[in-house]
Amino acid sequence: MLNKRILKEIDYVFLLCLVFIMALGFINLWSASAAAGYPFQWKQLQWYVAGTCLMIGAMSFDYRKLSKYSLHLYIFTVIILILVMFIGKSVSGSQRWISLGFFNLQPSEPAKLLMAIVISAYFAQEEKERFGLRDLVKPTLMVALPFLLIFKQPDLGTALLILIIYGSLVLFARLKWGSFLIILGSVLCAFPLVWKLMKPYQRKRVEIFLNPDADPFGAGWHVIQSKIAVGSGQLLGKGFMKGTQAQLNFLPEVHTDFAFSIWSEEWGFAGAVVLIAAYFLFLLRCLNIAQNTRDRFGSFLVFGITAMIFWQMLINICMVLGLLPVVGIPLPLISYGGSSVITTLLGAGLIMNVRIRRSLFQG
Amino acid sequence: MKKETKIKTPDTNLLLKHFESGDNQEKQQMCTYCGLILFGCFLFLCLRLWYLQIYRGAEFKELSEKNSIKYVRLQSYRGNILDRSGRLIAGVQPSFNIGVVLKDVQDVESLISKLSQLLDETATDIRMRLVSAKGQPSYLPVIVKRNASWQEIARVEARLYRLPGVVVEVAPARQYPYGTVAPHLLGYLGEVSLDQLKSGNFPHAVPGDLVGKSGIELKFERELAGRSGYKMIEVDAKGRMIKVLKVQKPMPGKDIQLTVNLDLQLAAEDALSGKSGALVALDPRNGQILAMASSPKFDPRIFSRGLTKMEWKELNDPLLTPLVNKAIQGQYAPGSTFKIVMAAAGLREKAITPYTSFFCNGSLKLGRRRFRCWKKGGHGQTSLYKALVQSCDVYFYNVGLKLGVDRISKYALGFGFGKKTGIDLPGEKAGFVPTRQWKRRRFREPWQKGETLNYSIGQGFLLVTPLQLARMIAAVGNGGKLFKPQYVLDASHVLQAKVPVHTGTLALIRKDLVGVTEDRHGTARTCFIEGIHVAGKTGTAQVIKQMKRRESEKMAWKYQDHALFVAMAPANDPQIAVAVIIEHGGHGGSAAAPVARAVIERWLKLRSPKPSTILQRKL
Repeated sequence: MLNKRILKEIDYVFLLCLVFIMALGFINLWSASAAAGYPFQWKQLQWYVAGTCLMIGAMSFDYRKLSKYSLHLYIFTVIILILVMFIGKSVSGSQRWISLGFFNLQPSEPAKLLMAIVISAYFAQEEKERFGLRDLVKPTLMVALPFLLIFKQPDLGTALLILIIYGSLVLFARLKWGSFLIILGSVLCAFPLVWKLMKPYQRKRVEIFLNPDADPFGAGWHVIQSKIAVGSGQLLGKGFMKGTQAQLNFLPEVHTDFAFSIWSEEWGFAGAVVLIAAYFLFLLRCLNIAQNTRDRFGSFLVFGITAMIFWQMLINICMVLGLLPVVGIPLPLISYGGSSVITTLLGAGLIMNVRIRRSLFQG
Repeated sequence: MKKETKIKTPDTNLLLKHFESGDNQEKQQMCTYCGLILFGCFLFLCLRLWYLQIYRGAEFKELSEKNSIKYVRLQSYRGNILDRSGRLIAGVQPSFNIGVVLKDVQDVESLISKLSQLLDETATDIRMRLVSAKGQPSYLPVIVKRNASWQEIARVEARLYRLPGVVVEVAPARQYPYGTVAPHLLGYLGEVSLDQLKSGNFPHAVPGDLVGKSGIELKFERELAGRSGYKMIEVDAKGRMIKVLKVQKPMPGKDIQLTVNLDLQLAAEDALSGKSGALVALDPRNGQILAMASSPKFDPRIFSRGLTKMEWKELNDPLLTPLVNKAIQGQYAPGSTFKIVMAAAGLREKAITPYTSFFCNGSLKLGRRRFRCWKKGGHGQTSLYKALVQSCDVYFYNVGLKLGVDRISKYALGFGFGKKTGIDLPGEKAGFVPTRQWKRRRFREPWQKGETLNYSIGQGFLLVTPLQLARMIAAVGNGGKLFKPQYVLDASHVLQAKVPVHTGTLALIRKDLVGVTEDRHGTARTCFIEGIHVAGKTGTAQVIKQMKRRESEKMAWKYQDHALFVAMAPANDPQIAVAVIIEHGGHGGSAAAPVARAVIERWLKLRSPKPSTILQRKL
């Protein structure tokens, strides 16, 4: 499949952004690993390589097959999520990992991507000018099952992320105005219910977000220290490996959730803006691909995966900058973690897949 | 307008659904909007970064540069626990903990060896403590020695500058002015576990804190704990304080005043010492607990300093079970104390009258089996009074046969057996009241008449806790009221139920029970107290089946019968109700009644300090 004609169709700005972000991620992990006391950067490099191979794989078949097999993919998603309940490894109170020997898979990561594919396939098949409430019953039920399974792990962040991806796709599929208002209203009404369902430690995080001074020793510490780290970077940063906040272990989880914190500390405002700009350029390219694809499924698929990457990035950075409560959502390609890197690169592969086949179906 | 086109591509044959042209335009518009939103988010994040890094950058830089902000936790003082007259049972006193802040330690192993020389702890113990703290934030000190002695503190303080990461903290610790009083009721404190922290039941605790692990300390954790405060201080590069930036004062915990009378509690614990058993003393008028003792006791202080293997083994002795609060968690057959319920049931159901008598020749024949009375020769012609006073089994076999299992169970439940009393303590047991239906469900066998006979004298399946027994005898004393047992003084009393027996009937039984301690043939002459009428009933609960038993005294201790005794005083207007169980104590009259006597005597002395008794004490 990968002949010359296809290579011409590859979006090189898109690829360049990806490689650039991965390079920054590698540099950043080098520093974070020194702080965390374990050479995460080399393992991450392995994930980058493995992920890139999978990305090429994800480009090489006809993406429309995914739509055909969407039911299978859905069942597979549910099965791995149920599996993690039984044979999952429990780390600090939540069962999120399945041990595969060489690698601990976190099924909720690929579940995000799989759900984006499944929902896209659904909306692509249902051809409607605008969707009403009744049309949403079936897909909502489809989303509810994996949502509950992840919520139970418990992993509130990822569970909500799946809802947000679903919501983005619903908006992209276009709702009737009345339905939109009803949904908006009921989501607002659901907040107290979600609050009730949350575990005490999750509630505490929200409370601490609203008032970090209330608990400077517990979860409030993360927020306070992260803000100090970012802020102390100033315009040009403290320099590579010189971030005192991170290197002196004032920051928690520097290699995973708070990776952006150490980046901003060491590279300053300039470095942070460059990284964010790379992300947004990448996301804009993705949107462009969605915009110019005439195939319904392809367009939905690209949009869904774009939403997945966008929301993860936005939520993670907002958390690091003290704008959102602490939730365990990684920064795609920057945070350490095999499941997350591979999921993101697979998603990128699918977007590219749609891009290079665009011209084939223009007729 | 729908346009479905089938396109053949070289390798696949898949359905393509293109957007309709209008749709496509809308989609393209949508993407444009999304692009604008993206751009907006980009600007928003940049703005936030600018605010943190440029606008407030210098300020944050200063904070991080000297690493200059430190939070010092100010521990709250735990609330006191007082007895009903305000005497301090459990208070707090300052103690010193030696901790290690792991993030400030360069060489952990050398620090461990240095510390093991300075403290009375082995290197292994210190390492264990540091390892067990894995997963807690590295900026919080891990306590390696709680309640350090003055010598230890002096040795560490003198070398503090050579021990980076080591801190000496002042922390309030529990102190018991009267020794370990009622450890089962009060409970003990221990270091909060990671699971407990996650559970959210201890919202203000941080790793290393002591929290209630059982009894009142656990039940009233929220009230007792108070809230810790903190001091935000600015320090220089060497960690020396420059100035205090902010102080949040700790909120001390609330005191809790118990209904327990310290004198009675001490008397009960003295009388129980050396034995395995429990005592509960209630005020029949309102359900307040005057004393609650379980033996053997344990020292609650050892949990906060960490247990040795030997101590742990001792505390978990399967026979003596020192950690179990036998007063609410021990479940025993009530033995003959159940005859009180049988008498009340028989009278209420008109199976007997106060004048009914049966003939006891030492046993009752049912089918081919003989059910023996404890007295070999038999009691002869026996009235209700005589049956209660001398605890005749045959009399109550007859009552049981007339009532049948269903009605017996109804009254057992009516007197509060078989369900929790609702006392606010963790781990209360409900006991057990058997029924015909239960027997069929559980064993797939119908209820046997012989079992009704055993049931009538409180043996067999029936199980009660000492607290339930005390409540039962209290109800006999107060005209049939079952109160919720309370141990907090300012809690208002809660009437839970009324016993399904007339007040007059209960008064009659009460009068008969006086004979148990005062009659020449009474089974509890050992609880006769001059100057007050005590109404009581002894009981003996079989540990192994009657078939296998030989003389109880000759058997190994763990096969001997449990001794029980319930009592109230004064009989005409009861103000104290007592239930005692001595595990493997033998006979109720000889083993359990003297314990109750000690408590009632103590109570009598407190109530009316006659000149003679005061004199006696002085002598």
